[in-house]
Amino acid sequence: MLHLLQVDLKKLFNYRTFWIICGLYFLTLGMATASGMEFLKWLASTFKDFGSKLNIERIPLYHFPDVWQNLAWGSGLLKMMLGIMVIISITNEYQYRTIRQNIIDGMSREQFILSKLLTNLVLSLASMVLVFVVALITGFIYSPEISFPYMFAGVEFCASYFLEVFAFLSFALMLGILIQRSGLSIVILFSSYLIELIIKKNIDDYVPGLIPFFPLESIMNLVPLPFARYAFQEIQDYVSFGSVAIALGWTFLFNYFGYLRLKKSDI
Amino acid sequence: METVLSINQLTKTFGRITAVNKLDLEVKKGQVFGFLGPNGSGKTTTLGMLMGVVNPTSGSFSWFGQTVTNETRKKIGAVLEHPIFYPYLSGQKNLELTAMIKGAPADHIARVLDVVELTSRKDDAYKTYSLGMKQRLAIASALLNDPIVLILDEPTNGLDPMGIAEIRNIIKKIAADGKTIILASHLLDEVQKVCSHFAVLRRGVLMHSGAVDEVGKGEETVEVAAYHDDLGFVLQEFAGTLSLKRDSASMVVKLKEGYNSQDVNRFLYEKGIVVSHLVTQKKSLEKQFLEILAEADSIKK
Repeated sequence: MLHLLQVDLKKLFNYRTFWIICGLYFLTLGMATASGMEFLKWLASTFKDFGSKLNIERIPLYHFPDVWQNLAWGSGLLKMMLGIMVIISITNEYQYRTIRQNIIDGMSREQFILSKLLTNLVLSLASMVLVFVVALITGFIYSPEISFPYMFAGVEFCASYFLEVFAFLSFALMLGILIQRSGLSIVILFSSYLIELIIKKNIDDYVPGLIPFFPLESIMNLVPLPFARYAFQEIQDYVSFGSVAIALGWTFLFNYFGYLRLKKSDI
Repeated sequence: METVLSINQLTKTFGRITAVNKLDLEVKKGQVFGFLGPNGSGKTTTLGMLMGVVNPTSGSFSWFGQTVTNETRKKIGAVLEHPIFYPYLSGQKNLELTAMIKGAPADHIARVLDVVELTSRKDDAYKTYSLGMKQRLAIASALLNDPIVLILDEPTNGLDPMGIAEIRNIIKKIAADGKTIILASHLLDEVQKVCSHFAVLRRGVLMHSGAVDEVGKGEETVEVAAYHDDLGFVLQEFAGTLSLKRDSASMVVKLKEGYNSQDVNRFLYEKGIVVSHLVTQKKSLEKQFLEILAEADSIKK
């Protein structure tokens, strides 16, 4: 297992595009999650209304335990960058035909897809660790009081954020294997949100019960939008078991479809 | 002799096209096996199936008498069609990656780079290599794990005469080590120079398979010239003459089996004719190959 991961990481670590995209991603992730208060200040100075109605100092954006869900949700917006990296990594193998040589050299198709999956796992874990660390530090800085068991209430959002990234990267990997061309795969990765939205809006009135079962919807539901609570609305401030089950199901299917396609095709 | 590769009724269809049709073939240990056929005859598809990248439609094959897994492929060094490497990695890094996949010790890398004389360029990115260097790196990567069998598919494709000679020397060197080599090519001259056995494939069907040595056997053809006006008439009287043809300045005599150029020379000398030119036309693999293909065509018609 570790050996397969090493093989895939060796391909990436010597690839400049990988460092640029991942560097930008982790830099953006770290900076964006840490500068939420600056963002609020900017909002307050730009929109007169916003500043006068709300005292931004009183929005507990980084207070324990709100910080977990807030940062997990915000970080989820950036996963597209990693998705693009995953697509480039797999479609390169088709474009250079190195997937063919890897198998000729003695990899099985299962091992090949597993090596890509393990990289996805590492990228998702790294994202989670970074968000956890930023949340912990900002929580300590901004929280007015820190009490031990209370501060970690909601830390499970880190885990569901991890699943969110991993499920999304599995989706990107599957697209790359099915389409095999980087440009087209990336366009479809972007437009799949739009396509799913249109379908959802069309069936909304007839079978609303189906909505949570859509793949991208299920990934989004892992960390529900938290900010409405600051406008005194009720939000889901826990990780729902149903969402996790559906997202896990899709994650399995994405990888299984990719594997099936790889198994059956001549490369 | 030990059987290295045994193919049994192997078939591959792409839609309506049958690329490989019920192929049966055996390769024994130590053979340098030429796999011949015109472009599109199914050579690469066959090798693709043997190396696990093309799924067979039906039929089977076994390497070393065992059922095939990905572990089997690690004992085989193969380059199919073009050299394939990560263009952004250096030659050295590419080989490191191959060594990881094959489970080959890392200290083999320097050695195989030496064999193909790429040591001085090993740290340059693969995409900066010339075609000949790419082909040589591919051979180096095939040699990495001390393979029992080496598969080379058109290894001299697109090379200049010097490059071709270099690759040929490498192949001969490897063959001298007792390795089994399967060499797919449409360059017959190439195959005749290095191979011990060969098979001819055409539109996915095996037309012929045998030893290269046997190609030259059978009736001989001799080219004779002499300063004598009636050379043609005299030769017609020779008991060993099968047929006779005038070819500009000389006569081309096709001999019956059991006769050779010495007999012609002796006969003419006894008749008082001294030849000025006597050449045995060796039957080339190329001729044999074309004959096999022509035979196949006539059967078809």
